[in-house]
Amino acid sequence: ELWKGEEKMSIVPKETIEVIAQSIGITNLSPEAALMLAPDVEYRVREIMQEAIKCMRHSKRTTLTASDVDGALNLRNLEPIYGFGSGGPIRFRKAIGHRDLFYTDDREVDFKDVIEAPLPKAPLDTEIVCHWLAIEGVQPAIPENAPLEVIRAPAENQIYQQKDGPLIDIRLPVKHVLSKELQLYFQKIAELTMSKSNPSLFKEALVSLASDSGLHPLVPYFTNFIADEVSRGLNDFLLLFNLMHVVRSLLQNPHIHIEPYLHQLMPSVVTCLVSRKLGNRFADNHWDLRDFTANLVALICKRFGNTYVTLQSRLTKTLVNALLDPKKALTQHYGAIQGLAALGHNVVRLLVLSNLEPYLSLLEPELDAEKQKNQMKSYEAWRVYGALLRAAGLCIHDRLKIFPNLPSPSPSLLNKGKGKVINTEPNKRKLSVDSSENRSPRKRLIATDGSDGGPSPMQVDRPTGDANPPQNSVHPSSSEQASGGNAPESRNAKENQGSKGRTITRKAILDQIWKDDLDSGRLLVKLHQLYGDRILPFIPSTEMSLFL
Amino acid sequence: MDPEQVDEFVMGYLKKKGFNSAAKHLQESLHNNNGSSFSSIDYPNDPELTKLIRSFSQSENDPSRYREGYSKLRSWGYNSLDLYKHELLRVMYPVFIHCYMDLVGKGHTQEARSFFNSFRKDHEMVHLRDLQKLGGVLAPSHLQEMEFARSLRQSKINIKICQYSYDLLIQYLHRTESTLMLGIINEHINFQVYSGQPNSASDDIEAVTIVGSFHETADHVNQKEIHWGLLEDSLEDRLEKTGGLLSDSEKGQGESKAGDDSKKRSAEIGKQGSSTKKLKKDKAGTATTKVARQETSTVLSSMPRVKPELAMPVMSTDVEESILEDLRNRVQLSSVAMPSVSFYTFVNTHNGLNSSSISHDGSLVAGGFSDSSIKVWDMAKIGQAGSCALQDDNNQIVGKNGRRNYTLLVGHSGPVYSATFSPPGDYVLSSSADTTIRLWSTKLNANLVCYKGHNHTVWDAQFSPFGHYFASCSHDRTARIWSMDRMQPLRMMAGHLSDVDCVQWHPNCNYIATGSSDKTVRLWDVQTGECVRIFIGHRSMVLSLAMSPDGRYMASGDEDGTIMMWDLSTARCITPLMGHNSCVWTLSYSGEGSLLASGSADCTVKLWDVSSSTKLTKAEEKNGNSNRLRSIRTFPTKSTPVHALRFSRRNLLFAAGAVSKHSS
Repeated sequence: ELWKGEEKMSIVPKETIEVIAQSIGITNLSPEAALMLAPDVEYRVREIMQEAIKCMRHSKRTTLTASDVDGALNLRNLEPIYGFGSGGPIRFRKAIGHRDLFYTDDREVDFKDVIEAPLPKAPLDTEIVCHWLAIEGVQPAIPENAPLEVIRAPAENQIYQQKDGPLIDIRLPVKHVLSKELQLYFQKIAELTMSKSNPSLFKEALVSLASDSGLHPLVPYFTNFIADEVSRGLNDFLLLFNLMHVVRSLLQNPHIHIEPYLHQLMPSVVTCLVSRKLGNRFADNHWDLRDFTANLVALICKRFGNTYVTLQSRLTKTLVNALLDPKKALTQHYGAIQGLAALGHNVVRLLVLSNLEPYLSLLEPELDAEKQKNQMKSYEAWRVYGALLRAAGLCIHDRLKIFPNLPSPSPSLLNKGKGKVINTEPNKRKLSVDSSENRSPRKRLIATDGSDGGPSPMQVDRPTGDANPPQNSVHPSSSEQASGGNAPESRNAKENQGSKGRTITRKAILDQIWKDDLDSGRLLVKLHQLYGDRILPFIPSTEMSLFL
Repeated sequence: MDPEQVDEFVMGYLKKKGFNSAAKHLQESLHNNNGSSFSSIDYPNDPELTKLIRSFSQSENDPSRYREGYSKLRSWGYNSLDLYKHELLRVMYPVFIHCYMDLVGKGHTQEARSFFNSFRKDHEMVHLRDLQKLGGVLAPSHLQEMEFARSLRQSKINIKICQYSYDLLIQYLHRTESTLMLGIINEHINFQVYSGQPNSASDDIEAVTIVGSFHETADHVNQKEIHWGLLEDSLEDRLEKTGGLLSDSEKGQGESKAGDDSKKRSAEIGKQGSSTKKLKKDKAGTATTKVARQETSTVLSSMPRVKPELAMPVMSTDVEESILEDLRNRVQLSSVAMPSVSFYTFVNTHNGLNSSSISHDGSLVAGGFSDSSIKVWDMAKIGQAGSCALQDDNNQIVGKNGRRNYTLLVGHSGPVYSATFSPPGDYVLSSSADTTIRLWSTKLNANLVCYKGHNHTVWDAQFSPFGHYFASCSHDRTARIWSMDRMQPLRMMAGHLSDVDCVQWHPNCNYIATGSSDKTVRLWDVQTGECVRIFIGHRSMVLSLAMSPDGRYMASGDEDGTIMMWDLSTARCITPLMGHNSCVWTLSYSGEGSLLASGSADCTVKLWDVSSSTKLTKAEEKNGNSNRLRSIRTFPTKSTPVHALRFSRRNLLFAAGAVSKHSS
């Protein structure tokens, strides 16, 4: 079998030789000559490449460039090939209709475009930057250095040194010294955060904060900075927003261990969520800031909830207190609701929905345009109402999703009527699992489960989840989606296919819903009473069909 | 076998081999005698002879015989006893390449190519570079043209093999009548048969060596005497004498010791090259009684001293003083006392930085660029400007007041492949693809001399440790010695079989070492221009060289990331230092020779503990435990391949490299 595919004499096919011959004006090259030339061409090309590799090595590179080939040709006293800069890889295109014919993809450039184009920026001049790669054999954790694997704990260090035998050098505790570079970096970031004048640069700074290694020594400074500035700059909306962005970047940075500083960070973050006034101008969109911060809070709880068990409970307590205090401003309520909503539907169900009725009754006078003459107040009230609706809707949406999927009118399933009947059985089993899980809601409350993509146990358990895209994609924010229109359709679809098995399942689920000690059904009814039809878009169409 | 048949065979053979007149004579004599001319030989009773004649008569031109023969031999080798397998498999590679070259030589290009591709996988692990070269050989003319192929054809390969393996092989070849393979093996392999059990597979560094027109000379060359001791009256000596050591008592001791030793040594210079035993004794005697710091200096002083063969330049007292001051303040490094590393990162080089170097005190950094320019930075000034650089990025593009903060040296007309400083940092020496070497003054910022002599790209040029003299090496396969005041080279060293890629001076200035693309390192006597050592062992192009400060050892780094540490007197590799996985661009010994730093394209600086080896090898060589050299620290850079390393006289390590974009 080794003989197969070896017919060619050389890796240069004879056609290539013919094409080259034509291109330099030799039209009467005999095929034999081409065949004879091919191996020699290959040999010469290899020779040139060998020299090119030498040039590459001497240019201290590990990637071959066009200039290396020119250098090799120069070594052989040959004319270099012009027109191939080392700018980037040459793009080859396949010629249509030919299997092995390629051509370089040269763009046609209009002279006008070239003339009218602004002058390109001058290339940056070569510079040298100096830093310490190591100090007495230890690499300092500065941004210039590659990320350290782990910031070694002192205990480990001592053990290591003891192993070394008699040569134990005991390092006295030293004052925390920041390198000059880090100081400059910190200053620069602080300036950018405060100045607000250069958003694009600030964005890059955020990227750097989120990705650069070696920033760990700066974390205490940043937390201090954030705490100070938040307390000082509550009137400065943009500053607050910038600061929250900085917090998020710090949280995102994989090289930073931020846990020890969370306690310093949290008050500032919560302030930005539930403070009475954020910014002093009417145009300041403090709602956005609150939304952003709410997500931030959720992110923190999700990441550190396991290490700090009290973190979420303390947070929710603060937020609920803010929500239930009627003296607090509506903006604060809004922030609290958003914060709670971001923590997941279990939090919402336990803490918001239970207080929903009295709260809404409080809110009602504010909503009424006739009673509340202050337009600003009225607007705020509607914002709060919207936030509440969203929270409740998300909650009920998630609750309903717990239940095993009902056959939905998804086309992929419609095509496979057989498969679905079989599906019903595992569904039943899943049902019992789910309901047993539902009985221990407190446990899951601590282990935060967000609505934003976290691996919630229910989703993992459901094998049919993937086959049901329409359900999962009903996103509450796009609540205008015509789910009302879907409902009758799905009902029709079901009726058309109505088999015994399915009716049984549906009954079982319905029973489950009403029996469920969590009162999903009643909850829905209650919500419906409170919100009217506004809640409907949140309910997945198939589930909706159950209730209608 | 019929007599007529034999005649036919003989006729056929003669014709095939082109002995036409002999064939004609035979024909005539056959006609005249009307009978067999070979009746006098008793061939029917000699089966061996019959077999042989038969094999000759087979059509020799049948190319498939190579494939058959080789694949049979191969499967036999792979199925042989495990104990002897690795020895038998050593035969495969030479047989493989010669089969291939035979096929090419006979014009069976197609078969040669398919044969090559079928079996190249077996050898790629070890011989990838050679196979890449050979893969391009497709016509008989290429065999003639390509030096590598020619040298393979002319030379024999030495293979160490135990008696039993050898017998197995020969038996196999006879039994299967694979005369073709037997012929190749006879022609190109030289077996060194030893009695006893086969060696373990691991220590086969020397098991397969190529000998031949040039390689045979290697052994011979390596017998020559060399004097690797430091120069008499070196600064280190003077430091001891002038009381560089700490306390008075120590000083006195050291002085008398050094004095005694140097006297003794100078008497012994003549014998020193061959007899190192005496030295060992001396060292063992003195070293054990001393404390650590004292030890290194006495070890140095107990080393043999040699006279300079070149007329040495006179050092100004200022320079001397500053060097002595540096030596006094040198930090003692060891595996527990690591150096600090200061890293100079080139930014915005646009892939144009070919080489960089750092002056002895780290204050100057030079870069040679592919746009023919050389740029020299004064780091003392950058240090101040550098802090501003971080503060206002926009201004930094132009530098302060629109002025660039480096000195631009323009003069070359081709990519600059090296730019190095003279020891005091007052000159820069650059070499370029325009075949010239240029000398620049860093004080005047101007070109002083343009040295022409090489015929091709000059890859590297290095000042001698005392300045004035410099060595260069080039694509024209020569290395040359120059002095600053002459336009013409003083010596020309020819002998490498391929480009000479790097050059380094021995600390005593009497020798230079060159590393080449022919995978060898050579040591040359500067005075006579003779090659005095050939170091064989690298598996790819040698990229970097460094000499230990005591002059006894040399380290060389290659394209694969292997660093080899050589003993100059025996020309043997002490141990390969494995760890880098890409080109080792640069090597540097610390001031007292206890650490070796290596910089590589894999974006790391590694420190190797080489002191243990220099102290212990003598004792441990016998125990077979030579693996004392170890990597003690790896410093990864963010994404900067390390181009240059330099230990300052005070043992601060400077490193330089250009940020490479693709990894960021």
